Amino acid sequence: MMYYLKLGFILLIFCVVATGILAYLNTLTAPIIQDRKTKDEIDTREKLIPDAVFAADSTASGMQYFRARAKEDSTLVLGYTFICSQKGYSSEVKTMVGIDKDFKVLAIKVIDQAETPGLGANCEQEGFSNQFKNLAEADLKVDKDGGQVVSLSGATITSRAIASSIQAGIAAIKASMGAEL
Amino acid sequence: MNFFKELTKGIIKENPIFVIVLGMCPTLAVTTSVKNAIGMGLAATFVLLCSNIIISLIKDITPSSIRIPVYVVVIAAFVSVVNMLMEAYVPALHKSLGLFIPLIVVNCIILGRAEAFASKNNVIMSAADGIGMGLGFTLSLMVVSTIRELLGAGTWLGIKILPATYDPMLVAILAPGAFLTLGFLMAILSMVKEKKQ
Repeated sequence: MMYYLKLGFILLIFCVVATGILAYLNTLTAPIIQDRKTKDEIDTREKLIPDAVFAADSTASGMQYFRARAKEDSTLVLGYTFICSQKGYSSEVKTMVGIDKDFKVLAIKVIDQAETPGLGANCEQEGFSNQFKNLAEADLKVDKDGGQVVSLSGATITSRAIASSIQAGIAAIKASMGAEL
Repeated sequence: MNFFKELTKGIIKENPIFVIVLGMCPTLAVTTSVKNAIGMGLAATFVLLCSNIIISLIKDITPSSIRIPVYVVVIAAFVSVVNMLMEAYVPALHKSLGLFIPLIVVNCIILGRAEAFASKNNVIMSAADGIGMGLGFTLSLMVVSTIRELLGAGTWLGIKILPATYDPMLVAILAPGAFLTLGFLMAILSMVKEKKQ
């Protein structure tokens, strides 16, 4: 009996030490990681709609988005950016989207995904993301579904997830703009 | 001399993938491109080296009946530490290797070497074993991924190798391609071995 208690106790000590080290390191690194993520987000936003000042806003349904106004003239609305996500083939695919004031896509960037390397993971490449430029809400479907987006070979599900999440995001912003007008 | 032997045995004689057949899951999963294979290989080599050193250090205070759970705790903790430090201080490296770090926890080469080698040998030998096995793993991944990327995408490390007229064999970078490539490579290796004997 004592023998087993002793074994359990030793294992407990190992776990306590390991957990302690991890907890300590986490308090050290978590703020740095968070800072960098926020900074990355700002950088990406500025790349999607250059020369703009961003102000946070949210739709009636609670989706966060940013309104971009021209730097020189703050009454001129350039467009909006938002982050949308949808389940792809093996992960949640997160995309940051910049649209102009007519709700056409200016640029997109896939910011987080863990899709199949070599197939779905190619969605981060520019060749794929560039074709979203100038697409309106109705065109944001993959070619198989009658849209304008040529899906990645072997990764229709990933392509579809990106297209339809952007479409839903634009629809949500449009709806809330309509309510405001 | 002995140190050198431990260092090089992982590359051919005791190759972790083709001879010991350990770590099949990451082998099949990440060999879709050479870049992924190198990333996974180097990340695993690093963790293997460090976990071998730590396990060799604590081998005298670990009761043998609970050694496996202790190793699992050490390895899992170590992988998390590497992940956190990398993400905070070398974000560029984390961006390219980050995907593979959590996969290393389930790589049985690490636990396999801890059990078979580091728990019975001193720190220096264990470090040599870790590096050697890690390099063997990396090289094998590169061989498998070279074949799959060439056939499946016509590229090597993202550079176009085969002419544009080549119609890529998509199956090679899908899951069945991994099994086929690995199977053929193992068959060729054992054929060579039999001929030698």
